[in-house]
Amino acid sequence: MEYLSPITIFFAAIFTSNILLTYFLGMCSFLSVSKQIKTAFGLGLAVTFVLTITSALNYIIYYTLLQPFGIEYLRYIVFIVLVAAVVQLLEMFIQRFSEVLYINLGIFLPLITVNCAILGVSLFMIIREYTFLQSVFFGAGSGLGWLLVIVAMAGIRERLNEQKIPPALRGAGIVLIISGIMAMGFVGFSGIVQIQ
Amino acid sequence: MKQTPGEQQLEIRFRPGQITKSGFMGDDTRHIHDIIEADGKVLERFGLKKADIADRLTLFMDEGKKELEGKVDLGEYVVQVHWARGLMPCPFGEPGLHPKVVVHVFSKASRQEIRYSQLSVHMIRKHGFWGGKGSVFRLEPIDVIRLLKMGGNGE
Amino acid sequence: MISNILLTVALLCGINGLLALFLIIAERFFLNYGPCTITVNESKTVRVPGGSSLLSTLNNEKIFLPSACGGRGTCGTCKCRITQGAGPLLPTEMPLLTQKEIADQIRLACQVKVKRDLSIRIPEALFSIKEFKAQVTLIKDLTYDIKLIRFKILGDDEILFKPGQYVQLQSVSYDDVKESVSRAYSIASSSDEKKSIDLMIRLVPEGICTTWVHQYLSEGDEVRFTGPMGDFCLCEGTGEIIMVAGGSGMAPIVSFLRYLIQTKSKRKVTYFFGAVTKKDLFYLDEMKRFEKEMVDFTFIPALSQPEPDDQWDGETGLITVPMKKYIQQIDTETCQAYLCGSPGMIKACVQILNENGVTSDRIFYDPFA
Ligand SMILES: Cc1cc2nc3c(=O)[nH]c(=O)nc-3n(C[C@H](O)[C@H](O)[C@H](O)COP(=O)(O)OP(=O)(O)OC[C@H]3O[C@@H](n4cnc5c(N)ncnc54)[C@H](O)[C@@H]3O)c2cc1C
Ligand code: FES
Ligand SMILES: [Zn+2]
Repeated sequence: MEYLSPITIFFAAIFTSNILLTYFLGMCSFLSVSKQIKTAFGLGLAVTFVLTITSALNYIIYYTLLQPFGIEYLRYIVFIVLVAAVVQLLEMFIQRFSEVLYINLGIFLPLITVNCAILGVSLFMIIREYTFLQSVFFGAGSGLGWLLVIVAMAGIRERLNEQKIPPALRGAGIVLIISGIMAMGFVGFSGIVQIQ
Repeated sequence: MKQTPGEQQLEIRFRPGQITKSGFMGDDTRHIHDIIEADGKVLERFGLKKADIADRLTLFMDEGKKELEGKVDLGEYVVQVHWARGLMPCPFGEPGLHPKVVVHVFSKASRQEIRYSQLSVHMIRKHGFWGGKGSVFRLEPIDVIRLLKMGGNGE
Repeated sequence: MISNILLTVALLCGINGLLALFLIIAERFFLNYGPCTITVNESKTVRVPGGSSLLSTLNNEKIFLPSACGGRGTCGTCKCRITQGAGPLLPTEMPLLTQKEIADQIRLACQVKVKRDLSIRIPEALFSIKEFKAQVTLIKDLTYDIKLIRFKILGDDEILFKPGQYVQLQSVSYDDVKESVSRAYSIASSSDEKKSIDLMIRLVPEGICTTWVHQYLSEGDEVRFTGPMGDFCLCEGTGEIIMVAGGSGMAPIVSFLRYLIQTKSKRKVTYFFGAVTKKDLFYLDEMKRFEKEMVDFTFIPALSQPEPDDQWDGETGLITVPMKKYIQQIDTETCQAYLCGSPGMIKACVQILNENGVTSDRIFYDPFA
């Protein structure tokens, strides 16, 4: 496989291979927390943050502990536990140093642990055999991509409130249809760069 | 769908003894949002908006308040209001407090009565929430619409 | 094989254990604010454990700030001035504070956490608020929905209050209601009496506290209340006094009357009591007694919708009717008015009083109702 520069991966993760719209990861919180731009933005930021940190930490753990001992199959458990710990730590950190941010976004933090996009990114970087730098940029890019999409969706949903939607499609139904259309839009970029 | 901790907080405030004696849910096991959605559909069927109902309920409340505690005869309806001192928060948790006002509206024609509080009116207007089934201040949208003779004939 | 399993288990436990240890250390480090010092009004200082809200921390120190929503950040009654150490304004406070209050360093005590040394300013009157333990010695029906409850204060404590003030009664858990709530009730007894207080409590359908009082409280029970609070008090003056109250609003009025008797006041007092039917009237004998004991006191009850059986020959109509008739005949130049009842009644009375020459600075009532 040819070597992609971390910057390329970063932008590819945001646009052409958006974690949410091309892999449909992190759908659950995407559906439930995309009602308001403000909260969506808060959650998006937190996800970006956690993604960047966990991809770095998981990379280190994987290549210094799991691989040398030949227990790569434990990666699912180990990765998730690590994500949980990082989220906990982050929560304490924010609570201590910025109560304003803690209140704005604090309630979304615990949710992130179970966001499958986080685990997905860690697993992808292993499968695609990224280097450390590539992984970190991949993590940050995926996070930003996720943020971009959830904020866009929240913007659309805020406007949808005033529209007449057929009763059967209200709520999750219309959101899924819109994400489908958005996904097609994003896939349109994919000719530019391809990262699997 | 997963619940945010914020929503769990929300559910706690709806429980008995938190803001009101027996809570807002009654024996309804549905999610708050599902209750709101189901009641909203009833209104839609009659082509009514939350504000239409809330405005009408407020109108009766204001007429009743003028008579202090006595009964007010409004022709088709008899209204009576009880106003206790003190203020209470809304379970949805936004800032602001509501007076403890209970309104009885009796329809002479149908010989039926509805009872609601000033907080109920606020919750209908702002949150589309009519109370869980079986809760003490639950208003059944269909009953209210019929009693107040609002909207067309639905269906 | 076995070694493989053991290795896996050991590694997994190791990683998890390490992470857990790390988190515990982090928590000790991040979420421990240590003891902090709160300086109140630049005179009193208290040392408290950090980490909880200012409101509850002060409560533990027996400094009772008012709170109507139980610290949920929705009522704004816990506002106080924090001159130092409060940290940035929180989003949960924003909606309840005006620009001017923000500039004056006013904050919500229930939202601000004690994380470092604080300097706050509160009204001196708050220092006299205490928590009392008391025993119920009497429960008497005044009407079908109003009860008089007498509380005897236990221990050596004494309550010093001005007539018109109220206490916050704390309910205990009953039935489905798991937590305690506190509600304001005006004191009806004489301010001379320091070891016991009387409250008049009206049942509110589906009310948390009043259902407890009416259906679960019995003589001999022990309860807690905090007080005294409020600035609804008798003001100096020599002019005539008009009092208007209905239902449980009678409580502070009775306390006023008892005070006027004690101080042998010569002021002319007229008390208008509003009710719907005869069964809402109470304390008539006491009012007769007051009329005898006071130099110039008249009690005027009015029924708005008397039943035929009531055989009522007194005033009829809303309480504002006889009151209006009366104040149109008198000189309102120095007259003071004291109102207690629902905000609806107060609004109607204030309007009529204003129209007849009683300016708002001579009309008194509890605002937070
Ligand atoms: C300064 C002051 C002095 C006071 N003095 C007195 C006094 O001397 N005597 C006295 O009797 N009272 C007095 N009060 C009033 C008292 O403090 C209480 O507010 C009152 O007794 C009601 O308390 P509660 O806990 O029983 O009712 P709460 O439980 O707090 O509220 C009951 C209200 O909740 C509403 N409600 C309940 N369930 C629902 C539902 N499911 N949906 C919608 N709405 C619902 C109803 O409107 C009902 O009116 C005073 C108040 C103040 C502020
Ligand atoms: S106690 Fe109600 S806002 Fe602080
Ligand atoms: Zn509300």
